[in-house]
Amino acid sequence: MDVQIDRVNAAILKHKSRKKALIAILQDIQAEHNYLPPDALRAVARSLGVPLIDVIGVATFYRAFSLKPRGRHIVTVCLGTACHIRGGPKILEEFERKLAVKPGETTPDGQFTLETVACLGCCAIGPVVVVDRDYHAHTTTRKVDGILKRYRKPGRPS
Amino acid sequence: MKNLPRLQSVRDLKKAVADAKRRRAEDKRPVLTVSAGTCGRARGSLKVISALEKSLKTAKLEKKVRIRVTGCHGFCEAEPNIIIQPQDLFYQKVDPKRADEIIGQTIKKKKVLEDLLYKDPATGATACEEHEIPFYKKQNRLVLGDNALIDPTRIDDYFSIGGYGALLKALTKMSPEEVIGEVKTSGLRGRGGAGFPTGRKWEVARAQKATPKSIICNADEGDPGAYMDRSLLEGNPHRVLEGMMIGAFAIGAREGVIYVRDEYPLAVENVTIAIEALRRVGLVGENILGTGFDFDFKIAKGAGAFVCGEETAMIASIEGRVGEPRQRPPYPAMKGLGGKPTIINNVETWGNIPLIITKGGAAFASIGTAGSKGTKIFSLVGKINNTGLVEVPMGITLREIIYDIGGGIPGDKKFKAVQTGGPAGGCLPASKIDLPIDYESLAAAGSIMGSGGMIVMDESTCMVDVAKYFLNFLRDESCGKCVSCREGTQRLWEIVKRISEGQGKDDDLVLLEELAESVKDASMCGLGQNAANPVLSTLKYFKAEYRQHIRRKKCPALVCKEIVSSPCHYVCPIGQEASTYIALVAQGRYEEAYRVILKDNPLPSICARVCHHPCETACRAGESGDPISIRAIKRFVLDWAEANGVRYVPEPVRQNKEKIAIIGGGPAGLTAGYFLARKGYRPTIYEALSVAGGMTAVGIPDHRLPKEVVAREVEFIKASGVTIRTGQVLGHDITIDGLFRDGYKAVFCSTGAGKSLAMGIPGEEAEGVLHSLEYLREINLGQTVPVGKRVCVVGGGNSAIDAARAAHRQPGCEKVSILYRRTKAEMPALAEEVDAAIEEGIDIQFLVAPIRVITEYGKATAIECVRMRLGDKDASGRRRPVPIEGSNFTMPLETLILAISERPDTSYIGEGDEIRRVEENIHIDEETAMTTRAGVFAGGDAVTGPNMVVEAMAAGKLAAEMIEKYVRGLPMQRDYWLTRPSMYVPPVSVSEAEAARAERPKIPHLSPAQRRKNFREVEMTLSEEAACREARRCLRCDLETQDGKAAVGAKP
Repeated sequence: MDVQIDRVNAAILKHKSRKKALIAILQDIQAEHNYLPPDALRAVARSLGVPLIDVIGVATFYRAFSLKPRGRHIVTVCLGTACHIRGGPKILEEFERKLAVKPGETTPDGQFTLETVACLGCCAIGPVVVVDRDYHAHTTTRKVDGILKRYRKPGRPS
Repeated sequence: MKNLPRLQSVRDLKKAVADAKRRRAEDKRPVLTVSAGTCGRARGSLKVISALEKSLKTAKLEKKVRIRVTGCHGFCEAEPNIIIQPQDLFYQKVDPKRADEIIGQTIKKKKVLEDLLYKDPATGATACEEHEIPFYKKQNRLVLGDNALIDPTRIDDYFSIGGYGALLKALTKMSPEEVIGEVKTSGLRGRGGAGFPTGRKWEVARAQKATPKSIICNADEGDPGAYMDRSLLEGNPHRVLEGMMIGAFAIGAREGVIYVRDEYPLAVENVTIAIEALRRVGLVGENILGTGFDFDFKIAKGAGAFVCGEETAMIASIEGRVGEPRQRPPYPAMKGLGGKPTIINNVETWGNIPLIITKGGAAFASIGTAGSKGTKIFSLVGKINNTGLVEVPMGITLREIIYDIGGGIPGDKKFKAVQTGGPAGGCLPASKIDLPIDYESLAAAGSIMGSGGMIVMDESTCMVDVAKYFLNFLRDESCGKCVSCREGTQRLWEIVKRISEGQGKDDDLVLLEELAESVKDASMCGLGQNAANPVLSTLKYFKAEYRQHIRRKKCPALVCKEIVSSPCHYVCPIGQEASTYIALVAQGRYEEAYRVILKDNPLPSICARVCHHPCETACRAGESGDPISIRAIKRFVLDWAEANGVRYVPEPVRQNKEKIAIIGGGPAGLTAGYFLARKGYRPTIYEALSVAGGMTAVGIPDHRLPKEVVAREVEFIKASGVTIRTGQVLGHDITIDGLFRDGYKAVFCSTGAGKSLAMGIPGEEAEGVLHSLEYLREINLGQTVPVGKRVCVVGGGNSAIDAARAAHRQPGCEKVSILYRRTKAEMPALAEEVDAAIEEGIDIQFLVAPIRVITEYGKATAIECVRMRLGDKDASGRRRPVPIEGSNFTMPLETLILAISERPDTSYIGEGDEIRRVEENIHIDEETAMTTRAGVFAGGDAVTGPNMVVEAMAAGKLAAEMIEKYVRGLPMQRDYWLTRPSMYVPPVSVSEAEAARAERPKIPHLSPAQRRKNFREVEMTLSEEAACREARRCLRCDLETQDGKAAVGAKP
């Protein structure tokens, strides 16, 4: 496990080891590691003096946290109400087919993690798909291939 | 901005605001305001900005023109947009490539680029300025309006519009009690969901002794479909912060927490920048401006849990715990963050506070209704033309929002419902269109205001699916603390899911209602208490749609996949398995394809030529491209079978002795006969004319449907065991009573709609005026009907086009004009037929209505017409044509053909027959196809009036099913099945390159020259290669059901 424990400690210190900052600390660790490594959770529990079970409780309660490593690119398909009625679920299925993974899973080559979100607040341009921080508006099933291709290209800054 | 001095006193702030205002007023440079909220950026506004910067630099204008990067202006549909001052021009959907032109033309030469202006799709009028656009006209943007004026990352921009003036007023001229009093006077109610009066909440917190008190800004906008809080926080963070500071002053709080969704990165960024700016100028901290007011902000980022919108859950989350709500009271106003009094309001509520303090509570209360004051921001999304954020006075009607501001439903589809209030809200049906939108009216109608999401749904939205969607969301988001919510939402979802899959039971609806009430009663927080709303409100207004799913296994909106399977198969009135035969064609298995077609369709070659192909209209490939050319593929299969001598011989079946009579040998009668024969009966068809086939034989000319094709299909029906007796007129040669006397056990009336309607204009009785039906019948029966040189046809249906094209083929005919009172878009005729007519040189005059036939010696010589324009929509949803006064003109003619409409002629039914009619149409029980007389069934045009071939065939097929039940003495109940193919054909693999290249084929036609003055069939068959290529383009929806996936393996 290549957890950079000094980075984890830095995140804890940044929030002055306050118990109340648990979520913020976990957010910082996830931003750094792309997920929450078990060792990091143990380190947080120790440093804050919080039982590990409570740390894991928080880490599994909130949708934003992942206990599994995620891919280089995060494909987030919006399933908000507006996107839903404009065909969001069909877009998700197309990504599932093209990537051969289910939401929450990562492709075996570690390139993509497929995720869903309840709403991105860009309802006017739905169905919306966000890859990393790029928004793709008015997505159709036919555009899915093209979107993936842009990120598959080696060397493209993500 | 960096050199803004630290503000140490009230005077410093006053001066900073005054300076900023003055600088703004004195700066006379043109300004390019670019909206760059999240939506704008998603549509490329940052690229527009850099292109504009580059163009300005090239033009050496970078010092003379300002670019202001703002948040969202609300009109998301028009993104990226630019407002250009001083002209106040509004350019929409700006491409970065246009930057040079905008600078060169509009900035330098003051020329307006017309094509970038907004055009009203309804009237075609262009709007130069933002306020002229219908989307903005009825809005009152008191809260959101400032977004367009400021760069959210610059505090001096906020100062320049008088920012922090309200805080100044509160700190220097008002006591905390006076601030609370003003908020109470305003009548402001929480904009986040429940609508609790804000002033009262503050009063409670103010009265608490415990300290330190806190305030929280709820920016965890969790309702899917609502995004006004994001827009406000992104586009005008200081306004929200100012509101919070006023609130803190009022209740005596020292700390303000902004709990913001992590899914809103730009909002987090801009509010962070804003707080840093406040810290830099000294507007937060100890003893702010020397007034003794201590206050600071903290940002807490949400981690994605809908339940954290609930106050106590949010507090738990801010305190680093799992976001589970707790029992209230005590309310957070008494015991909140850290156990101390805490006020939580949402972004929009805080955004209203500066306005109330500046203008006064009374002024605010003058807007809105008795119980709902001020304006409310709604996110108008879904199936609506002008998507965006709209800020309107409370009490505005739904109609004004959807039609006047929203511009109606795209594609002129029917408005079905609007969902308000997010997952805890409800769906309002179209009948509530005139409902005033305020807290009380929405609650009375069974929904809630919620945070202001307004999701518009059209006929292609399934309400069962919508309920399932929200339940899925809620069962996922239920925190799990209360069993009623955790298990209840799960079970509700399972039941609705079952219904959506066509597996519902009759008592499911009762169970749903009972369970919904229990979840409501037994759950602790708002999530659980409202979790049943999506079910209850859809059940309240759309129970019939649930029932259709349960009893008939139908999803009228074509959404529920397990019910619909392939839309082409599902919508076909006779249940043709289009998806199956297309899949077989894709593999070159034509003979099997032929058998699949024949299984459900005894008149396939007729359908392959004249069917109005609802399958193609429903085809999913048509949603983002062209639908599959299904009819042409069918034609290819049938022509291939014909050419290769492949014939389908029905398997022999056990004989049944009961005699069954069918009256009328059109598509309905022939189909009924065929399917009865397949069930072992030997029915007899009595046909009045000398040929069988009905309208397909005598109503459609040979250039579209050759006689031989009809004759061949009729022979096939006969060969299957049906006797056809021609020249037998009901009421003359036979009677219904007589048939029963002769031992027939059941009679099927499919006598069609053969009576032409008169127009009701003077002169239509003259010689030379024909009815299309009679005209087509005569030429189809081989008579010659001279029409002269000039022919006019009145009407816009297929019959009008057929008559026009037939007349045009007559020797000596020089000019044929079709007169239609609406436009091409409203024409009921098939578009391909209209195009073919135009191609052949037929003149179609749109928006023209005849008013009088001019005669000489009793013979028609001309027609007087008036030009029309389209007015408002009529009951059918089409725009009503209105005559233009004084536009009369005449057209000379030798023959006038009226193709207005037909109706059934059922004068053969007498009183004693006990068969109920509605006008001339025979009335049947929709479920059993039986008339009011036992044993007499009816279907086709005689029941529906003029209709499509395949609809008549469906009526025949149903009649065969029900007649069999009747004569066997079985319960008269229709069988309903899920749409499923009879076989699963493995998919073909299509490369990305092929998929990208594939397009709907052009169907070969005879050239107009080859068609001149003859009745050779115009449309030809696809080549084998073209048919296969087109079949490979099919999306194979049939493989997306659970059955389909299982049949071919999960991963094709």
